[in-house]
Amino acid sequence: MLFNSYQFIFLFLPIVWAGYFALGRLSKNASIIWLALASLLFYSASNWQFVALLSLSVTFNYLIGSLLIRAKLDPTPRSAMLATGVSTNLVLLGYFKYAGFLVANLNQMLGVQLTLNILLPVGISFYTFTQIAFLVDAYRGEVSRYDLPVYTLFVTYFPHLIAGPIIHHKDIIPQFERGGGKMVGLHLVLCGLIIFAIGLFKKTCLADGIQPYVSLAFGSEVPSFHAAWLGALAYTFQLYFDFSGYSDMAIGISLTFGVFLPLNFNSPYKAASIIDFWRCWHMTLSQFLRDYLYIPLGGNRRGRTLRYVNLMITMALGGLWHGAAWTFVAWGVLHGLYLCGNHFWNAVRPDLPSLSGRISGIAGATLTFVAVVVAWVFFRANDMVSALTILSKMAAPAHEQLSYREMLAGLFVFCYALIAWFAPNTQTIMGYDHYNRRVGEGLIRFSERPVFVYVAAALLGFGILGIQQHSEFIYFRF
Amino acid sequence: MATPLANIIRFLTAGITTVSFVAAINFIIDPLQLFWHHGVFYAYTADSRLQNAGLIRSQDYNAVLMGTSLSVHLRPSDVNRTFGVRAVKLAMSGSDSVEQRFVLDVAMARRPALVFWELDDRTFFESPAIDENKFIRPDLYRRNLKGIIGYLLDLDITRESFFIALSAIKPFKAIAHGLAAAQYLKFYGDEVDEIGTLPATTDLSAIYNAGSIRAAFATAEKYPKEIYFRYNYQTLVRNFERDFISIIRDHPETKFCVFVPPYSILQFVTIRDVSPEALQTIYDFSAYAFPRLLSLPNVTLFDFRVAQDITHDLDNYMDLLHYRPMVDQRVLSLLAGGKYRVTRAAPSDSIERLARQVATFDTATMRPHAVQPTSDAGGPGCR
Repeated sequence: MLFNSYQFIFLFLPIVWAGYFALGRLSKNASIIWLALASLLFYSASNWQFVALLSLSVTFNYLIGSLLIRAKLDPTPRSAMLATGVSTNLVLLGYFKYAGFLVANLNQMLGVQLTLNILLPVGISFYTFTQIAFLVDAYRGEVSRYDLPVYTLFVTYFPHLIAGPIIHHKDIIPQFERGGGKMVGLHLVLCGLIIFAIGLFKKTCLADGIQPYVSLAFGSEVPSFHAAWLGALAYTFQLYFDFSGYSDMAIGISLTFGVFLPLNFNSPYKAASIIDFWRCWHMTLSQFLRDYLYIPLGGNRRGRTLRYVNLMITMALGGLWHGAAWTFVAWGVLHGLYLCGNHFWNAVRPDLPSLSGRISGIAGATLTFVAVVVAWVFFRANDMVSALTILSKMAAPAHEQLSYREMLAGLFVFCYALIAWFAPNTQTIMGYDHYNRRVGEGLIRFSERPVFVYVAAALLGFGILGIQQHSEFIYFRF
Repeated sequence: MATPLANIIRFLTAGITTVSFVAAINFIIDPLQLFWHHGVFYAYTADSRLQNAGLIRSQDYNAVLMGTSLSVHLRPSDVNRTFGVRAVKLAMSGSDSVEQRFVLDVAMARRPALVFWELDDRTFFESPAIDENKFIRPDLYRRNLKGIIGYLLDLDITRESFFIALSAIKPFKAIAHGLAAAQYLKFYGDEVDEIGTLPATTDLSAIYNAGSIRAAFATAEKYPKEIYFRYNYQTLVRNFERDFISIIRDHPETKFCVFVPPYSILQFVTIRDVSPEALQTIYDFSAYAFPRLLSLPNVTLFDFRVAQDITHDLDNYMDLLHYRPMVDQRVLSLLAGGKYRVTRAAPSDSIERLARQVATFDTATMRPHAVQPTSDAGGPGCR
């Protein structure tokens, strides 16, 4: 089921919401079980064949986690327990996501014709990472005991289940335990609805609106210089508004249940460096990779060279997490190189006075943006040959006359760039503070100026009108 | 100070009002003319899968033209003039037999006297069910609640409505046409007769010439398209019975003028060279379909694949299949005159002639090895 569908907005969400708070008055457990079951129903609407897999995964990880939390084991069996848990998760993810990729590569290398058709369970990358984090923290002794219904809800909670944000048990489970649907927070509901409206507008109007121009670069024909750049830029903005729109919707929906989800985006295209970009793009994934991969590898604690090696490993695996294709690996490796370059520059650059610092800030932001656009070509292209063809066109300026379609694409890209670079982001508009559990304090003033509510309502209206296109979120496939 | 509850109510009410306002605009402008033909704001789109839902409602017709991209350039006015009917063109580029049957089925509710139906074996390849086809909106044709609401609450339709209304003011018409040229707007045609036709200013000889088709032929021989390997006799027959025969059989009161279009000879020569099995399947399918069609009393059948004066003149084509508008005119006159009509007495004659033409065509000289007999006698035309 898609957030941008009539059945979700007008049927599923109101029923689940009403049931959650109605049951919450009776019993906290009842409301939690209701929400967990509703989440499984949400998942089964488009992935019924994988509900059993999801349920097995939840049960298995809960059992392993419980043993790590409760059983007084010696260090060796305890480590073995963690290794079993993590490796089982990775094997499962590897089988569903990477076995086909492996077979395709074997076919190419050995000249054989092995066939393997495996459907990818939607959301497996997200719920696998969420649970690996849980197991690792349980091993470290950083997890208190959770009941099975709460744990199940934590993993399956429908606002985040399909495409994140990747949530952390320490952040989310206490919110379920404290809230449990006992009382409707009307202020949170209002703020949640407005954030949802902004997200829906971003997805159905902005992301889907620029989508037709992506084919200028990524269509079936070899693009011209202008078409390659315009298509790559169109994809740059489509991906941002699509994924940040999805994240806004998830945050908004969750807020109506009284649960604050972590932010996933913080105006990444305004970033002045690639390090800054990764602090603002898919933030929950970056945090996961940092805490559970980069730092365990040694992080920056073992010298500059090993830091660069760790960065490259982290980013290459981060790329592979997005999809089983060499293009994603190339995307990750390229960002790894960017990050190494950025850290190296930070280590050797001279101190600059404030004026030239400002100029270098603008130069840094421009360079970062161009570098990100170039990397998106690998991310979006069907294969490496296509990616390199498009990039070769982007690198070869030509004096060609722009077609009407290219001119219009240019206008779209310009307008979207203005929004991405200069407009405040959703959390700024709404005053969303995930850590301090605050939102919409400015809205108390806005309520005296209802125009804000009307503008948000118009966004909701246009967002609903844009639903017709029924396009999936790009990040569903990861 | 307004309470959160008051603001929630305000927010939801304003949201519903926005949606209702937009729906009202779409209802009033009604780009597809589903509800009325007010004559003030109107335009047509070449997206025939969308436009057809409106044409079936808005046009006064007693004849229907159905087909693929090979028939989209035809003008209904030419059909009207040739046959003395009021025709509506419902041909859809790249359409499959499921789409054609679905659209034609809706159009048949108006009980047309005559249906011109292009018979293209490729339309009978395996194709999705109509409700799983993402290029067409079946509920719009069914005019059920989902279809109507989907139409009224559609941001794309709103954009079209807005520009249709704006185009009523002359200076904005040029802007709308510019946006249509940029493929941003769909509804921009002024005349229903011109839907899908080439603009009068088009340099036809630059598009349709022997150079274009020779290049297409060379590419197809070097890089055979996947489509050449999709011919499956059982599938073709099954879908032909399900989607083609069933409609003709269910409407005995309507005359069906069925024609196989004049593809270039190089289309079959390519298949001969890259997939002889597919060529045999094409012949076998024709051998099945022709007698089957002619067993129905309301069918007149033409096979223009053997119209050598058209199919061997490479200047008629832009690629292996698509021919210039003048050929459309010729097809109409042949349909009216009866030449190349397949007779019940000898349903396989044209297939055998086609096989001879294909077998003897020399790609080095782009001519047949030997002169072929030119007996084109058929019978009375479609009237």
